[in-house]
Amino acid sequence: MTGGHRRILVVEDDPETAGQLVESLTTSGYQVDLATSGNEALSRGATGGYAVITIDRMLPDIDGITVMRQFRDDGIAAPVLIVSALGEVDDRVRGLRAGGDDYLVKPFSFVELLARVEALGRRSDTIVKETILRVGDLALDLVSRTASRRGKDIVLFPREFQLLEYLVRNEGRVVSRAMLLQHVWDLHFDPSTNIIDVYVGRVRRKVDGQQAYPLIHTVRGVGYSLRAPG
Amino acid sequence: MLLAKTLASSTFKQALIAIGTFGIIVSALFGYVYLSTSSYVRSRSDRDIMTELSSLRGAYEHSGRDGLIAQIQQRIADRNSANNVYMLADPSLAALAGNLREWPPTTTATGGWIEFRANEALPNAANRPLVRAMLQTFPGGDHLLVGRDISDLDNFADHIKAAIISAAALLFVIAGVASILVTRRTVGRIESINATSRAIMQSGLDQRIPLRGTHDEWDRVAENLNLMLDRIETLMGEVRQVSDNVAHDLRTPLTRMRGRLEKAYHGQRIGADDQALIGDTITDLDAVLRIFSSLTRIAQIETQARKGAFRTVNLVEIAGEVVELYDAAAEQEGTRLTVVGDREVLATGDRDLIFDAIANLVDNAIKHGRAGGQVVVVNEIIDGKPVISIADDGPGIPPHEYEQVFKRFYRLEHSRYTPGNGLGLSLVAAVAHLHGAQIEMLDNSPGLKLRLWFSAPIR
Repeated sequence: MTGGHRRILVVEDDPETAGQLVESLTTSGYQVDLATSGNEALSRGATGGYAVITIDRMLPDIDGITVMRQFRDDGIAAPVLIVSALGEVDDRVRGLRAGGDDYLVKPFSFVELLARVEALGRRSDTIVKETILRVGDLALDLVSRTASRRGKDIVLFPREFQLLEYLVRNEGRVVSRAMLLQHVWDLHFDPSTNIIDVYVGRVRRKVDGQQAYPLIHTVRGVGYSLRAPG
Repeated sequence: MLLAKTLASSTFKQALIAIGTFGIIVSALFGYVYLSTSSYVRSRSDRDIMTELSSLRGAYEHSGRDGLIAQIQQRIADRNSANNVYMLADPSLAALAGNLREWPPTTTATGGWIEFRANEALPNAANRPLVRAMLQTFPGGDHLLVGRDISDLDNFADHIKAAIISAAALLFVIAGVASILVTRRTVGRIESINATSRAIMQSGLDQRIPLRGTHDEWDRVAENLNLMLDRIETLMGEVRQVSDNVAHDLRTPLTRMRGRLEKAYHGQRIGADDQALIGDTITDLDAVLRIFSSLTRIAQIETQARKGAFRTVNLVEIAGEVVELYDAAAEQEGTRLTVVGDREVLATGDRDLIFDAIANLVDNAIKHGRAGGQVVVVNEIIDGKPVISIADDGPGIPPHEYEQVFKRFYRLEHSRYTPGNGLGLSLVAAVAHLHGAQIEMLDNSPGLKLRLWFSAPIR
């Protein structure tokens, strides 16, 4: 990734949240610009060159969604992460999915935000057209939809395979429970149970059971990460 | 459809009662007119006959039988009394004079009124005319009959009768048609108000009752109802705005709080004990937030803000996905989770919300069912309605608590220590209400069977 691709515009009116956002993104190696109002966001956004833009849904002057639409009208294609403080992700925000953008409901964990920003920033990269994905001794055949470790087949249900594929594609990155629900089940709400953990638990037993080393790791308070040791 | 509603409407029933009352009065009035007219005409003719009779009696008393015969012949010759009937008969009832050749066959041959059909034609009269006559027997034994052809009178009465009956019939027809038309108009207006009310109940407050611009009482009713709807819409908007603001104002400090805790958790100089403490605090904070989210979510579904995402969905598909998602959880409990039934059960709705509702029901069934038991999800079409049922074989719910369990934070005694926040079924109820679906709870003996009756998809 080039330096330009690590620039992020954060649009947030609450000073402390903005500070925390800037700090955690900076710590993760991003170059962060802050805008505290919709108008400031529009003028900063116009200079271009941002890999990702995060916008608070409720701004003192212009609504976050309107800012995002304005960006689109101005030809700014950078992926946008809408941060909503409203109780429920409303229809308008749900409509974003089509545009390849994302949303996050406050309060969020910063690890989750980072995971989302990572995922959005990566989207502009080329899509890998491989038929077999490998992490350590795990191999996923995307054509026959089968998985194996050290050449030994792992029996997976289709949805389990989808989940593993998503983890593998995000190798080394943190994937939150909400992201799994969105990408594997196309669910855009929190089912308010530990159902994802139970599901991942079963996939993990199938993938990591009686193996030399574990691939799926729990990231406390956020979700999961798949990585090979070393 | 409209005609059936018209006939069933109370306005029409009232109109019928009015027509009935009016009809009785009109019939009585016409009846009186008919009776008095016909009796007047008849009494006049009777008077004429009596005058004639007394004049002829005078002639008999004055100039005897021959004088009377002459008088009778003179009268018959008079064209003005062509309708009159005369007959003088001897004591053996053989004709002596008059325009009647045979004494009418009658029992009261000696005196008083009779009515009979004459055997022969009279001049200017119909064949076998109806004759009303008075009889008189003279001291000498001769019988005199003076009468009148009353066929015309009868015809006159018949004409009056016919006129009255047809006028009454016409009146009833006009009144009937008028009442149907008036009622139909009323029913039409009420129906348009009803249709709008139903549309508002189903799809939100953005519709208004159409005005006709006639400035009549119906337009005024519609105007007032529309004003009421405006007011409700404004209030709902304000409530939503307030809850949005509350959500926003609570979430912003909570975000900061969580941010600080997270920073502390990942801090370098922190001991393991402190880290665990902070970790637990974050978990608790998240639990509080989840309850908060659930409450605002339920409130939002209840205010019907999400109809925009409605489309035709296959319940079987959604149920399949839910069962797949909960498969692992069921396995953990040793519960057998299966989905059976039809392959396609279509309904109109919001896929995410229906998923959430079914997920909550399946989650409940697994949690509150028997460990090592069975949870069955059935998709079917009953009476043309898409139905999904979720049944477990656990302890079930006592029937008197069926209503209670849909209240927010309500928890059954025996499930007080099972994880959950008592909001799941409230959400199910809100989703069901938004979709116009009925919830039915049944005893699965043992266990609980909950059925969701959706309405058939709109094509």
